[in-house]
Amino acid sequence: MKRYATLILICGIIPSGFAGEPPLKPEDVRFFETRIRPLLADNCFSCHGPEKQKSDLRLDSAEAFRRGGSSGEMLINSAKAEQSLLLQLVQHADADKRMPPKKKLTEKQIADLLLWAKMGAPFPPKTTATPGEKHWAFQPMVNPVPPATKDNAWAKSPLDSFILAKLEAKNLRPAPPTDRRTLIRRATLDLTGIPPTPEDVESFLKESADNPQTAYENLVNRLLASPAYGERWGRHWLDVARYADSNGLDENIAFGNAWRYRDYVVAAFNKDKPFDQFLTEQLAGDLLPTPDTATRHERLIATGFLALGAKVLAEVDAKKMEMDIVDEQVDTVGRAFLGLTLGCARCHNHKFDPVTIDDYYGLAGIFQSTKTMEHFKKVARWYENPLATPEEIAKKAEHDEKIASLKEAIKAIKEAVELKKRKDELAELEKVSAELPTALGVTEGSVANTKVLLRGDHLTPGKLVPRQFPVVLAGAKQSPLADKESGRLELAKWLTKKDHPLTARVMVNRVWRWHFGQGLVRSTDNFGLIGEKPSHPELLDWLALRFVEGGWSIKALHRQIMLSATYQMGSTFDANSAEADPDNRLHWRANVRRLEAEAIRDSLLAVSGNLDKSMGGPSLQNIKNRDYLFDHTSKDKTTYDTRRRSIYLPVIRNNIYDVFQLFDGTDATVINGDRATTTVATQALFMMNGPLMVESATKLTSRLLEDKTLDDAGKVRQLYLTTYGRPPTDREEERAKKAIAGFEKELNADEPDAVKRRAKAWAFFGHVLLAANEFIYVN
Amino acid sequence: MTMSRRQFLKQSALGFGSLALTSMLTETASAAVDPLAPKKPHFPARAKRVIFLFMKGGPSHMDTFDPKPLLTRDHGKPFPGNKPRVQFAETGTLLRSPWKFKKYGQSGIEVSELFPNVAECVDDLCFIHSMHGTNPAHGGALLKLHTGSDSFVRPSMGSWISYGLGTENQNLPAFVTVCPTLAHGGVNNWASAFLPAACQGVPIGNASVPVEQAKIRYIQNAGIPAGLQRHQLDLLAEMNRDHLNRTGPDLSLEGRIDSFELAFRMQRSIPEVEDISKETAATKTMYGIDEPVTSNFGRQCLLARRFAERGVRFVQVTHSDSMVQWDQHGNLKKGHEKNAREVDKPIAGLLKDLKSRGLLKDTLVIWGGEFGRTPTVEGGGNDGRDHNPEGFTIWMAGGGVKPGFRYGTTDDYGWYAATDKVHLHDFHATLLHILGMDHEKLTYRHAGRDFRLTDVAGKVVTKILA
Repeated sequence: MKRYATLILICGIIPSGFAGEPPLKPEDVRFFETRIRPLLADNCFSCHGPEKQKSDLRLDSAEAFRRGGSSGEMLINSAKAEQSLLLQLVQHADADKRMPPKKKLTEKQIADLLLWAKMGAPFPPKTTATPGEKHWAFQPMVNPVPPATKDNAWAKSPLDSFILAKLEAKNLRPAPPTDRRTLIRRATLDLTGIPPTPEDVESFLKESADNPQTAYENLVNRLLASPAYGERWGRHWLDVARYADSNGLDENIAFGNAWRYRDYVVAAFNKDKPFDQFLTEQLAGDLLPTPDTATRHERLIATGFLALGAKVLAEVDAKKMEMDIVDEQVDTVGRAFLGLTLGCARCHNHKFDPVTIDDYYGLAGIFQSTKTMEHFKKVARWYENPLATPEEIAKKAEHDEKIASLKEAIKAIKEAVELKKRKDELAELEKVSAELPTALGVTEGSVANTKVLLRGDHLTPGKLVPRQFPVVLAGAKQSPLADKESGRLELAKWLTKKDHPLTARVMVNRVWRWHFGQGLVRSTDNFGLIGEKPSHPELLDWLALRFVEGGWSIKALHRQIMLSATYQMGSTFDANSAEADPDNRLHWRANVRRLEAEAIRDSLLAVSGNLDKSMGGPSLQNIKNRDYLFDHTSKDKTTYDTRRRSIYLPVIRNNIYDVFQLFDGTDATVINGDRATTTVATQALFMMNGPLMVESATKLTSRLLEDKTLDDAGKVRQLYLTTYGRPPTDREEERAKKAIAGFEKELNADEPDAVKRRAKAWAFFGHVLLAANEFIYVN
Repeated sequence: MTMSRRQFLKQSALGFGSLALTSMLTETASAAVDPLAPKKPHFPARAKRVIFLFMKGGPSHMDTFDPKPLLTRDHGKPFPGNKPRVQFAETGTLLRSPWKFKKYGQSGIEVSELFPNVAECVDDLCFIHSMHGTNPAHGGALLKLHTGSDSFVRPSMGSWISYGLGTENQNLPAFVTVCPTLAHGGVNNWASAFLPAACQGVPIGNASVPVEQAKIRYIQNAGIPAGLQRHQLDLLAEMNRDHLNRTGPDLSLEGRIDSFELAFRMQRSIPEVEDISKETAATKTMYGIDEPVTSNFGRQCLLARRFAERGVRFVQVTHSDSMVQWDQHGNLKKGHEKNAREVDKPIAGLLKDLKSRGLLKDTLVIWGGEFGRTPTVEGGGNDGRDHNPEGFTIWMAGGGVKPGFRYGTTDDYGWYAATDKVHLHDFHATLLHILGMDHEKLTYRHAGRDFRLTDVAGKVVTKILA
């Protein structure tokens, strides 16, 4: 009943005590809560409540009241209220049946009960919700009216009004708009992860001179249409999907087909796949009816989301392994889409959030009914969905047949020349014989509800719970999931309901975080009671509702955010504002942000003209699917020697590419929607000594030295334009020329060749430009 | 501006690593404090630093430090007790140790002939014979030993210790791991997970690299003369300061300016630590560096001392070659003999060296593997043992633990920890206790709750404390 109460509370209506009856009148509820419930609680519940149920009777809910006790007689008959059993009992009419047995109620109390019985004994559910149930994130989204502001010239969109109102309340002013060069650099790095070229900047400035607003809108649209956009924002999503090309943990085996999921994500962002569809495909793509083979394959690949977790594949206890894998899925889905740490409820009811152990196993049942693994014997083997087209299958069969018959034929051949010829032929055939394509993903398993595991231990199973969604969000009365289906599709449908209080809020907040460096809710993966409260709750709802109404379009959300005055603010420091709001929660200026690991590398490659822009395809070279990345030898077989964008580098758990490790890349094992930005000395060592730095600097400057049309001042200017998107000041230009001359002089002894000396001196200077804060920070 | 800047940057005491300017982004507080600034322990510490000698693969306790006369007597018979519910592999009948044990020192503790040199130090050692863990596979067991969890990515014990105590040498990392294995958890065995990044272990090479060639990554740039690099850094600092002036006070930008100076100092101090040429011949001999068999591990142990004496908080040294070194499912005799020979003299050398320098009293040395081995035979050759997390031995030395002391027992055959059992969580609790920290108070708020190295378990083994 308590759960039912919760459901009702969430729905926001006052119900009658009995299902199907009209809602109670507020005055009846008040009467009950002030006169009757306290009476029952003080005099009856100790024997007929949650602890004890003497004579099988409970009096603490409407349903229990209606059911009555072991006698089967109705407690209250409102038509003949005086004669009702309850009234007889409390009046001590029959000496053998007196309630409460030891102490008679007062006349006033008996009169209240009589009155109540005549009213029809309305029994509203308990209305004192726990703090958990009242938590902001579980409440329905509201459609707030953008607040009025004193300054009505600043806002470019309602979004800005929400921001400005909060600033004005603290007597703060937003920073002035940023300059155009900074704006294009910010927008370009933000949407594509690589800096604008000098030509991009030039044409933006030119266009802005005519019409700044249109120029900026065109810029945003052009960037959103660029394939680099999907590579940048797809990478953000991969942080949430804890994407990796290897299993990690104990047996670090290659996820040789994980790249298909990565490419799916990049394409989804590029074609602005509606987020509700994106979510559904990742949880249940295999269960969607599909019109054609290509779509079917795409959706099978999408379920890779569920299969990408790190698994203890040599876990000797197969049952434990299975439950650990399910746990990883519940936890990832919970944090990715709901912002809830559901994993906490594996062993006990959640300590902070209103999530029970039953809720956990309700979801666990869904994933236990899903096939993620082929088997759990050590070393366990994960499942992959077949992707071959019928033609490919037929072709492969034909090819295999050819090989088989050739092998058969060879057995009979005695003649040496002929034998060699046929053997060569066979070798040739075998070379092209490849595995049929498959994709890491899930399919339906054997569907069953699961038992609660006490303390999370599979050796102490408890009661069976139905597969269902967390009660605090979905209510206690959920229609049961079909017997023949795991329930993943239903889960996705429930998550993408238009009025789901969490899904849209969580995603909108992620996008905000990736744009601004901190979310409106800073704990992006935790919207629970221990998570942070939103700085601008109304704005969050306003954005979330528009996101849903606008068809869950992420690109529309980008436009919404980027065309605002808030986004276009400068990063000018202000001592007053800094003192009032040191963390810039209120957005009094644009945050100065360091680029992420991938963007640092991509920017280095881009400005030095080294970037290979080819998209997609396998990450792992020389390593086949299911091969060991690391066996006992600790020898690293992975190569990062490619000029392609960082998203295409192998993501090897337990041994993430060291440059990414240094610059706070994710560990690819747990969801991370809010990467840290640390500054450690080992990063500086890389910046000073890393081969990528040296190569990029050399490439950057050697290209320039070949340009005979530019004098040294022109070259310095071009370097600044390429790396920082702005020309140097006079002072900077002088300093640069002096530094280069100084380097040349110092090199005298080490480098006798004047041409090489000059090249080196310029490279050393280029190196400094690339290592400087201005290159890896965005204002 | 100077004043508001001071307010803004308050508490930015920047040390090595400085800096984990979690840049307002963590779920917890945003106070930017150097996570490696030296911190007071919860109560007076018995040891200031740790050297962990990790024997990868699972050395056999029955063949090294936990003699079992009944195993010898009942050789060839079935194990009379119940075998564990989950086992890594099938094993056969009881297998006696091929090595003889002898009593050593004042304490008269028995050590097998595999460790004649360590045996000479037995009066300094404190054995825990009743260790037990949960996971019978290398990967899970390594993670459990190093991080306390075999199911999730959690900070390693070295990271927790760095986080709890900070570092005393601002030119070196707080946590160094020499030639770690990249298999079986790899980086996760020295990573900081959700703790500040500066708390992570800094690897020097890995198990596939001889220690002589092992280097911290990016520690040198051969392409540029040192003096010129200094001028490069001067220019860089000037440009970064200009940028900072334009942007206004910013912890992260300022921290980064300092980080280059720290890196430059580190670049000078690390090679100095790694350069053992100034050590005396006697010292090198003591560690076995002059003999091919012991040279590699001897260097590792000597490096450990050099890092420890310079204030590094947690130094791990891993004994692992390109195989799982101590993992003798077969070839027990040959394998364990080779392994023991490689480490015996260097370990004894380290203990003696630390003692003579007065370092042993506040350094805790730990020796052990991720599990022990079964008393029953694996394979047909009467020459192999399987993994056994149910009972095994580790020993400690220095750092206020009882010298010449044995704690806990396994059963008569050595399969299960029997009396005074010490789980890996208890081991972690004790380790933190020795360093002056209460394992229940050393917590970090992440993903909605406070995490501990010991999760919800762990009891300090007070009886081993001197």
